Amino acid sequence: MRNIVIAPLAPIRISVEAEILSPDIFAPLSLEQICGLDVWQGNRKRRISDLFRVVGDEGPVKPEETALRLEGDFSRVKRIAEGMTAGTVDVTGSVGMHAGNNMKGGRLRILGNADDWLGREMRGGSIIVEGNAGNYAGAGYRGERCGMRGGEIEIRGNAGAYLGEHLCGGNIRVAGNAGDFPGAANQGGTIFIGGSCHLPGAEMTKGAIIVNGKAKVLPGYQKLEIVTIGGEKYQKYAGDLVENGKGELFIQAGSS
Amino acid sequence: MIIRGGIVYDPANGIFGEEMDICIDGGRIVEDAKGEVIDARGLLVMPGGVDAHTHIAGKKMNTGRIMRPDDSRLGTEPRSGVCRPSTGYTVPNCYAMGYRYARMGYTTAFEAATPIIEARHTHEELEEIPILDKGALTLFGNNWEVMECVHDKDIAKLAAYVAWGLRAARGYGIKIVNPGGGEAWGFGSNVKGLYDPVPNFDVTPAEIIHALAEANEMLRLPHSIHLHFNNLGKPGNYTTALETLEALKDIKPSRMRQAVHVTHMQFSAYGGTSWRDFESKASVIADYLNRHDHATMDMGQLLFGAATTMTADAPLEYGNARLTHNKWSNHDIELEESSGVVPMVYLRKMLVNAVQWAIGLELALLTEDPWKVLMTTDSPNGSPFVNYPEVIALLMSKPKRDSEMATLHAELSKRTSLGGIEREMDWSEIAIMTRAAPARILGLEDKGHLGLGADGDVSIYNLSPEEVDASKEHATVKKALATAKYTIKSGIVVCKDGEIIATPRGKTYWVDAAALQADMDRLMVDLRDKFERYYSVQMSNYAVQDVYVTNPKVIKAGLGAEPLKEVA
Amino acid sequence: MMVEDAICSFCGCLCDDINVEVEENNVKRVRHACRLGSSKIMGHERIRSPMVRKDGELKEVSYQQAYERAAEILLAASKPLLYGWASTVCEAQKKGILLAEEVGGVLDSTATVCHGPSVIGIEEKGLPGATLGQVKNRADTIVFWGCNPAEAHPRHSLRYSSNACGRFTPEGRSAKRIIVVDVRETRTSKNADKQVIIQPGTDYEVISALRMLVAGKGDVVPDEVGGVAKKELASLAQMLLAAKFGAVFFGLGITHSRGRYKNIDNALSLVADLNSHTKFVIMPMRGHYNVGGIGQVLAWSSGYPMSVDFTRQAPYFNPGETAACDLLAKADTDAALIIAADPASNFPRKIVEELAKMPIIQIDPYENPTTLLADVVIPSAIAGVEAEGTAYRMDGLALRMRKLVNSSYPSDEEILDGILECVRSLRSAMRMQGGA
Repeated sequence: MRNIVIAPLAPIRISVEAEILSPDIFAPLSLEQICGLDVWQGNRKRRISDLFRVVGDEGPVKPEETALRLEGDFSRVKRIAEGMTAGTVDVTGSVGMHAGNNMKGGRLRILGNADDWLGREMRGGSIIVEGNAGNYAGAGYRGERCGMRGGEIEIRGNAGAYLGEHLCGGNIRVAGNAGDFPGAANQGGTIFIGGSCHLPGAEMTKGAIIVNGKAKVLPGYQKLEIVTIGGEKYQKYAGDLVENGKGELFIQAGSS
Repeated sequence: MIIRGGIVYDPANGIFGEEMDICIDGGRIVEDAKGEVIDARGLLVMPGGVDAHTHIAGKKMNTGRIMRPDDSRLGTEPRSGVCRPSTGYTVPNCYAMGYRYARMGYTTAFEAATPIIEARHTHEELEEIPILDKGALTLFGNNWEVMECVHDKDIAKLAAYVAWGLRAARGYGIKIVNPGGGEAWGFGSNVKGLYDPVPNFDVTPAEIIHALAEANEMLRLPHSIHLHFNNLGKPGNYTTALETLEALKDIKPSRMRQAVHVTHMQFSAYGGTSWRDFESKASVIADYLNRHDHATMDMGQLLFGAATTMTADAPLEYGNARLTHNKWSNHDIELEESSGVVPMVYLRKMLVNAVQWAIGLELALLTEDPWKVLMTTDSPNGSPFVNYPEVIALLMSKPKRDSEMATLHAELSKRTSLGGIEREMDWSEIAIMTRAAPARILGLEDKGHLGLGADGDVSIYNLSPEEVDASKEHATVKKALATAKYTIKSGIVVCKDGEIIATPRGKTYWVDAAALQADMDRLMVDLRDKFERYYSVQMSNYAVQDVYVTNPKVIKAGLGAEPLKEVA
Repeated sequence: MMVEDAICSFCGCLCDDINVEVEENNVKRVRHACRLGSSKIMGHERIRSPMVRKDGELKEVSYQQAYERAAEILLAASKPLLYGWASTVCEAQKKGILLAEEVGGVLDSTATVCHGPSVIGIEEKGLPGATLGQVKNRADTIVFWGCNPAEAHPRHSLRYSSNACGRFTPEGRSAKRIIVVDVRETRTSKNADKQVIIQPGTDYEVISALRMLVAGKGDVVPDEVGGVAKKELASLAQMLLAAKFGAVFFGLGITHSRGRYKNIDNALSLVADLNSHTKFVIMPMRGHYNVGGIGQVLAWSSGYPMSVDFTRQAPYFNPGETAACDLLAKADTDAALIIAADPASNFPRKIVEELAKMPIIQIDPYENPTTLLADVVIPSAIAGVEAEGTAYRMDGLALRMRKLVNSSYPSDEEILDGILECVRSLRSAMRMQGGA
């Protein structure tokens, strides 16, 4: 594997857009070429080496042979691993908005927290967040019918609101709580929430949402039978009937 | 400026692929000129493109932008050189409208439909569109004052209202969309056909259309009525098309032009009784146009891919939205009109869309006289205008049509005769359908041709019409038409090899028609009453003020006006 | 001198029947306007001169000096915010957009604290609407959801809605059914035929329940939703279905309670559902008289109606990331130009504290709490009284505001032109020095 380590030189104030921080971009370039890549900080174009220390193995290699390691606080760096198709990106700290957006393959792992729009419009690959994710994790872009279409997102902490909005495919798993409206306008895919949430599956037409904690259920959901999943009992609902939805909602029995 | 040695197609002046020089001075075509020399040797040269029917400005378009950030984020281009940023594919921002038309060699475009009360908005947007000369057609077909005049058979007062309305809207001509249906939609219904009375007004769509046509000719307007048929988009609606055309046979045009221009005919050439047995009736429509001279049409070609439907046919849009489970905007306009906006995607694998695609092409290819058929996509309803080169390439190449059809639903050949049509349009016909005919049909005497005195609008393409076989090399044709080598507007090079290098402000055409004072006085009694009781704005705040049209080109018309110069 | 049919520059009603008595270039009397509009047109004590803050105090300077200082601030910033726009005319808004493009900033309007969520809802569902004259002439059933026009849009009811008379509504109020949905009784509900009180934060569920009832799926709906008995919701659904022409007006009660844009999204869906049974339209009650205008102008200029980031020279839109409050909440902006707005009064406290940390340019006729924070203060002519221009009513109708009196103050448009000129000359000077 070609290993490359990137660390911020100083705390970042105005957020940086760094969609070039991706195995696909780095793989065919030499270290010198990588240092000359541009990132944007507000309206200022900066070289990556102005803001970050870049060290590692030489190229060129293929994306799947590239391992990026981001060390430190990237919470104000946006669009990390955008469009990634292969390889790995590991972040020891937190990441800014749109991490892993449009991802198609490979693995993105974040030890800290992820800001809003984690894995936006994801197509494939996997994202793991050890900490919390913000709002719109696994969601889409404004006005689009479909957001995430494939891939896996795993959040080991809590997620914010609008988790997996417009989900069309793929899996999202949150160990902790999710906020308001997880799985809104979903047309496929599966969402698992280990904790509680509020009004899941609003206007869902297909797909499944499983909630282990408490959830307020919308009036468009029809209560069906109690089912057992993985040894646990869940109250099954069908909906969202405001849209003649054929989605499935499972709330852990005895908790809503 | 001298454009040297181009292979010129100027059908209005009988020039069909002659090598000649074109001279421009003071923004107009002249006999001789000095100055900049543009080397066009061996290259295709035509007058700048004229789009007689496109949706480019106003409330509907802006509603499309606002509800479709998913579209606005496509086609994003940053500021550069003389250009402001561009966004959008089916609903471009104002700057993209101008730049993208200019890149294709178009220099004039007319907004298809504007309600009078919202014309101020339309002009605000037209003013922001760079480069192009433009105008806007004004909607009259669902208007309370119009319907009351029609009911009373008072054509004189109707003509006075049309004159007043065009001035209030700074509009160019009479646009009629699903007449009567827009008013019925005010309470959620529609009209079912030409002779279905409009609720609360006791007139029929046939009466509305006929009366407006009479008023149009009484005022000697440069353009004829511009008509979007009732029952648009419904299987079997070709009968409404024929009925309506028949009902207008007796209209005597006041100028040397058609009595009615039918827009986006593709959507009105449908056979079958439902979407299941849906089929093309293009051959019947084309046959009618071959045997009659009072009507012209534009294609309204549908292309596969994304579109945004936006039309004053509001009930149609509601139907579209329900059918496709799509987001839906509606806007009913007091006393005047209705409209709707719905995103759409046309798919190759859907038989209905495939038939619709075939119909547009059939209409053009089966109509013998190219002066009767304009090439349009009812942008962005059938497809955004940036795809015009695709339509032209299809018209010019049977092999291209065949290879397209091979990718479509197998059942298609049973529903359309397109597969059997051998005709391939040539450059003369394309120049007619995209330059000379739209100008003549609209009544724009200085557009669409390169005779002395015409506006110095010229497009030069990187293509040698004498060497390229448009039938076999359709990909070359499409590529060349997408990016003009030079686009010249009023004698200024605005675009070179796809790069916009100048963004002059274009002119806005509008028609100032005069009516008889006595009829105007009677009209004002009606209008004062309507503003007093029904409108939500004051009459003094209603009309478009001069400040909104900073570069006007006013065409005089009406009773007592000097006779308008006939378009050749 | 009496100016007739002047247009009021206060709220989204954009009443255009105002009569203003002008004597010796002063507004003496205002007729027909409500007290909010009257007060605006009559005017009050205003900022006399441009000022620049030096050593903590605002000192008077010339307009040119103020423009130069403003240009310096904007060019020094990596991500300047250009905010407000809702109480000035479109001609100024156009200049503002050009300025945002040229300095590479983020432009946002007061919709961000008002109907921004409505815009996002419209991006999901579209807007099934009409002009206000349609409501006046046809509506027999009117719903006010989360808004209180009796206080915020005083003439709405007489000109356009509950008490208006039109061609198909000649009997006015007596033949209409007015319904108010809110979390408490309001002045508007006093004029209503039906009042529905819901628990705060439950608008979304209540709307979903109504959609189910309208679609005839009431048996699935629980016995109580949002603190309202199912029976009462069913009766409300019946009233809606019985309408010949229904109109729903909504406001901050629903855009800024729990659910936010999802509430609007659902309300738009409810109206779309109702259209398969009868005729219904919906309209946001826009607050500022030209917040509609900045939405329209920004949309046709950039493709998006609010929260547009021009820092990378191409428009980028993502409310939640590019809205004014988003930037301030994340300390992700380093200068602000505030025009025709008062964020110090309207933004949450923590956000105002962040705003206070950066250089601020204020363009406004009047002093307000934002002036206390400003580093450059530029007094402008009052749009709609001292300067002409275009404004868009809450239903999207464009009207031209009249000039009632002359003024020596420059208009917002002229001020922005002055700043733009300074930005351009500073930039070319920097380029000549080989700078960025």
